[in-house]
Amino acid sequence: MTENSGKSVAVLREGKLSIKGNRKAVLRWILDHMVWFILFFVLVVLSCSIRGFAQWGIFRNILYHAVFVGVLAIGEAICIISKEMDLSVESVAGLAAIMTAWLTGTGLDASGILLNGYLALLVVLAMGAIIGAFNAILVVNYKISSFIVTLAGYLMFRALALVVTNGHGVTRLRPEVVMVARTKLFSIPLMVVLLLFIYIAFYIFVTQTRFGQHIYLVGDSREASYNAGIRIGRVLFGVFMLSGMLAGLTGWLLAARTNGAAPNIGMGMLFEAMAAVVIGGVSLQGGVGNLAGVLAGAILLSTIATAVSLLGMPPFYMNVIRGGFIIIAVLLDALVQRIRPYLM
Amino acid sequence: MVERKDVTVLEPPVLRIEHIWKSFGKVQALKDVSFEVYKGDVLALLGDNGAGKSTLIKIISGNYRADKGKIYLNNQPVSFGSPAEARHAGIETVYQQSPVCLNASVTANFFIGRELCNGLPGIKFLKKRAMRQETEKAMADIGVHIPSVKEKVGLLSGGERQALILGRFFHWGGKIALLDEPFAALGVGEARKSLKLIQHMGQQMRLPIILITHNVEYAFEIATRFVVLRHGEMVGEGKIADVKVDDVVAMITGAIHVRDTN
Repeated sequence: MTENSGKSVAVLREGKLSIKGNRKAVLRWILDHMVWFILFFVLVVLSCSIRGFAQWGIFRNILYHAVFVGVLAIGEAICIISKEMDLSVESVAGLAAIMTAWLTGTGLDASGILLNGYLALLVVLAMGAIIGAFNAILVVNYKISSFIVTLAGYLMFRALALVVTNGHGVTRLRPEVVMVARTKLFSIPLMVVLLLFIYIAFYIFVTQTRFGQHIYLVGDSREASYNAGIRIGRVLFGVFMLSGMLAGLTGWLLAARTNGAAPNIGMGMLFEAMAAVVIGGVSLQGGVGNLAGVLAGAILLSTIATAVSLLGMPPFYMNVIRGGFIIIAVLLDALVQRIRPYLM
Repeated sequence: MVERKDVTVLEPPVLRIEHIWKSFGKVQALKDVSFEVYKGDVLALLGDNGAGKSTLIKIISGNYRADKGKIYLNNQPVSFGSPAEARHAGIETVYQQSPVCLNASVTANFFIGRELCNGLPGIKFLKKRAMRQETEKAMADIGVHIPSVKEKVGLLSGGERQALILGRFFHWGGKIALLDEPFAALGVGEARKSLKLIQHMGQQMRLPIILITHNVEYAFEIATRFVVLRHGEMVGEGKIADVKVDDVVAMITGAIHVRDTN
């Protein structure tokens, strides 16, 4: 008797599930890609409310300006996924930009070496990797909190570059560097193509490779990872070195865009990168995050900046709106986490 | 039905504890404790608070070293300096808050540190499909039914998590599992499920398990043998089938002492 009634309930539930199953899967997919929907929503609202917003030139501009924060944010994202933090990225990018300009520039304060731009890229990537390894040694071997280590790095590295150039900026770089910022492929800036390419490569890296998986596991539970024999120190070395290299690449791209590097180049990018990471749904608890979301976060920030300047609002409004978006993103994420278990 | 005793006699015990002594300063935590665990045994280690259960578990799992006595794993004498060494040798302790990666999938947790990869030089790509299928099969074998192995472990119940850890441990060649109060944090329904799983693993799959619990009722449901500790001494051991709950409770509380009769 009881057996029977139990069965009918189960059938009923299954019946409901089969109707609702697809809808649930769709809802789950929407929740997991919330940032893209927010971005889309914001773009639609702006297109409707600002005259002249909805055109390819504006969208291209938004994407172009998302490149630098976008690349920087990848490194920050994988650091935070592994439950560490890298505050030095902005200064490393600044250092790399000034180094690029110093090595390849023809201006007064340049080195006069006139190094080939691609060799300069290798130099700044190596530099980023070394700085990352330096951060990792202090974090892994000396067990200092990465927040402290990279805070020190944040203060140090940009200043180091200015020691080299006597506190001056450098202008007029070699053409192969500048070319990267000015080339377009079928009216899409090469920089944007590069951004997408880098995101796809890193997306595959973190989701499809063993090392990528270990970044998530180490960030999720150090103890479980240790018990399973994952070499946590090695993973963190990789994470910090990648973050440093991406910051080096960002610096090179920044120097290419401005055809030179001022002492304050890229200033404030750390917080933008952090904002992109957080808006993109990466949790500071570690072990959670999706690079696709981070890209959407970077584009969203760039959209806001573009809209604010199009509207002719004073630039300080920008950070009010950005801060608001961070709060909204975090609140939405908390809501999503509550809802998600019901959508199994 | 084959008598379990007949089968086990032919094989050496998986774990043999011989004359273990341990003291902390003047406190004698364990006095001459000896027992054996065979394949197919679910051994209930019973005793009141402070009876020495935890100390014994910590010695077996490598947290402490015994002052005197020997431990044999599959007839080989072993001595562990750390839990990692014990785990490596095939002894795992599962406790209520055993660490798992809550945000990672069941598959990722099942294969943690042992991921199947395509052996490309330099970069190792995960064989996700193969890992998923193997996890599904292993989970079904141990009797855990979850909607999807792609789901986050954080969404599993406490009992399912324990089952995942146990299943993973035995799947990768674990020899004996120590379950430290596995039911304490679980609700009644969840504890029921957990009991069934442990029974399935211990009796059908013949995986050796030591179960440490306060709950004598639960121990009687799933254990095949028992050992009772009181004030660091073994005051009783035997087959669950041979005793009544009341007798064991009496041993735990010190009302009777039956070791000599064995």
